[in-house]
Amino acid sequence: MEEKLLMKDQIAKLYDELAKDYSFFAPIKEKGNIVFKKASNPEEIELDYFNSKVPPKEVLFPKMEVLFEYSLDEKDVEIKERTDLDEKRLIFGIRPCDAHSFVLLENFFDFGEFKDEIFLKKRENTTLIGMGCNSPKSTCFCTSLEGHPFQRDDLDVMLVDLGDKYLVESVTEKGKELVQKLSWLTEATKADVEKAQDLSIQAEESFQTHLDFSNVAKTLDPNFDHPIWEEISEICIGCGTCSFLCPTCTCFDVIDETDEYNNRGRRIRIWDTCQSCQYTLHTSGHNPRNSCIERCRNRILHKFSYYPTNYNLIGCVGCGRCVQLCPVNNDLRTIIEKINKIEDKKEEKISA
Amino acid sequence: MPNIYIPLLTRVKSVVKENKANDIKTIELEFQKEEDYKNFNYIPGQFAEISIIGKGECPIGIASSPTEEGTIKFTIKRMGTVTSVFHSREEGDVVGVRGPCGNGWPIEEMKGKNIVVIGGGFAFSTLRSLVLYLLDEKYRKDYGDITVIYGNRDPGEVLYQDVLEEWKKRDDIKVVLTIDREAEGWTEKVGFVAPIVKEVAPSADNAVAVVCGPPIMIKTTIAVLEELNFKDDQILNSLEMRMKCGVGKCGRCNIGNKYVCVDGPVFSLAELKKMPSEY
Repeated sequence: MEEKLLMKDQIAKLYDELAKDYSFFAPIKEKGNIVFKKASNPEEIELDYFNSKVPPKEVLFPKMEVLFEYSLDEKDVEIKERTDLDEKRLIFGIRPCDAHSFVLLENFFDFGEFKDEIFLKKRENTTLIGMGCNSPKSTCFCTSLEGHPFQRDDLDVMLVDLGDKYLVESVTEKGKELVQKLSWLTEATKADVEKAQDLSIQAEESFQTHLDFSNVAKTLDPNFDHPIWEEISEICIGCGTCSFLCPTCTCFDVIDETDEYNNRGRRIRIWDTCQSCQYTLHTSGHNPRNSCIERCRNRILHKFSYYPTNYNLIGCVGCGRCVQLCPVNNDLRTIIEKINKIEDKKEEKISA
Repeated sequence: MPNIYIPLLTRVKSVVKENKANDIKTIELEFQKEEDYKNFNYIPGQFAEISIIGKGECPIGIASSPTEEGTIKFTIKRMGTVTSVFHSREEGDVVGVRGPCGNGWPIEEMKGKNIVVIGGGFAFSTLRSLVLYLLDEKYRKDYGDITVIYGNRDPGEVLYQDVLEEWKKRDDIKVVLTIDREAEGWTEKVGFVAPIVKEVAPSADNAVAVVCGPPIMIKTTIAVLEELNFKDDQILNSLEMRMKCGVGKCGRCNIGNKYVCVDGPVFSLAELKKMPSEY
């Protein structure tokens, strides 16, 4: 069989072997939360997890990242480019929804005349060993966005948790090479593969959230000035959690950090959010998105209207982080349902 | 693949105080490497991300014309952190430049047309670039009549007085200057830009109007141009937006699905009418 088996007590062996060649990122428990971090030993790796609070996009697009470093003297500036982009990274245990977000991120950073080399090089040097979701939560809705808790397409290697072991399936050439190197993996049986298929079906059937995205973009387009935006933004406190923790959000601010005593520094980018009032504030004082109404609208339109228009993709993977973590429970699922109702009302009028 | 966030290094060649209030300066930059200048191919209406490395970066329209060889110029109003540092720059200081960014004025599509350039205040910088380009001996024959209408609050705010004087001497361009209120020694027009446009603008037939200025001026001028039968695709605007990267990645300059930094900053009124009014 092409599929292999990895026993759960072999994770340390897997780590020891792969950590020689890769920076090994994995789900790790830190201050009560799961984070995707570079593991320094296999014991740190948390295998019983739902998903991380901060999406694994931070492995490739960290909260703070150096664009270049500089040194300054009286009359000269020297710029030092980053030299660490070729580091080989492996993300172990990434969920299929987050792996799909990497497709969106790659597409975005590669779009247009200007390519974001910093992200793209790191992406190119990254291998994804993903893990299917046996028990999706009520906040998950990847299946409403053509995703699946066992989607392999965006991974290099797919793992399925079979209880005491994982079914290992290589998806890409990159994945095949990696699995071949792990010569000690045992062969899977037909029963293992069938069990994985059953788990996949069970996981899919367990979804409680089913959202219809088919008309959302079409509905949003003519409803820019619809009163629904006031309703949707009413409880929003503009904290930006929804966008900071969104696996597809890419906005950033750029800042020069200078060590004045040593005449050196670095230009960095840090995550930013369209939910902040300062995000679009002009120096003149003018602000094109002056209130929460416009800012909430921008977030929804960006994901569900501008993204499909520009890239022919929906800017959401259905991970449900924004639903789980919004401090005022401004639930994206409800927002989408409200938007879908705009269309219903119109149709009613037409049929009447 | 080059790192799109790394600036090219230049040095300040000259600094010119542009107005009486002394909050607008034109800084002329010379690239440190000859090949960087050769590769910096821009057209009027484009901008660049210019930075004082160690202090920060900001997007500024290119005030020089590609026909003025050797250096590039930026006219900077002292407004925030970075622009204030720019005002303290002296000859020889290092300035970082990333660009050219944005689409620029559609100089190819404007060929064969009569051109009305309408500017207000310090937004005239990329219009300076455009007019210098149109007047260049290589390109002048490609364009029809050129009319420049340039308004300011008072005589002390009029930028680029040297080039304006040159233009006034020529017979292939009509230059109309105006200020908001009467002032001693002022011999040109008095009044807001919009009514002056109504008075002096040529026919809309085969014409393009290029409008740059504060929002209220743009609004009133567009109303007048519409009265004069200019169609939406004959009116061009350059927009300002808060930006960080200038290359379509940092996110904040979007108007609907367009990014001002890469899809703009120049949009026709026809295009703007299709976009949400979030600017």
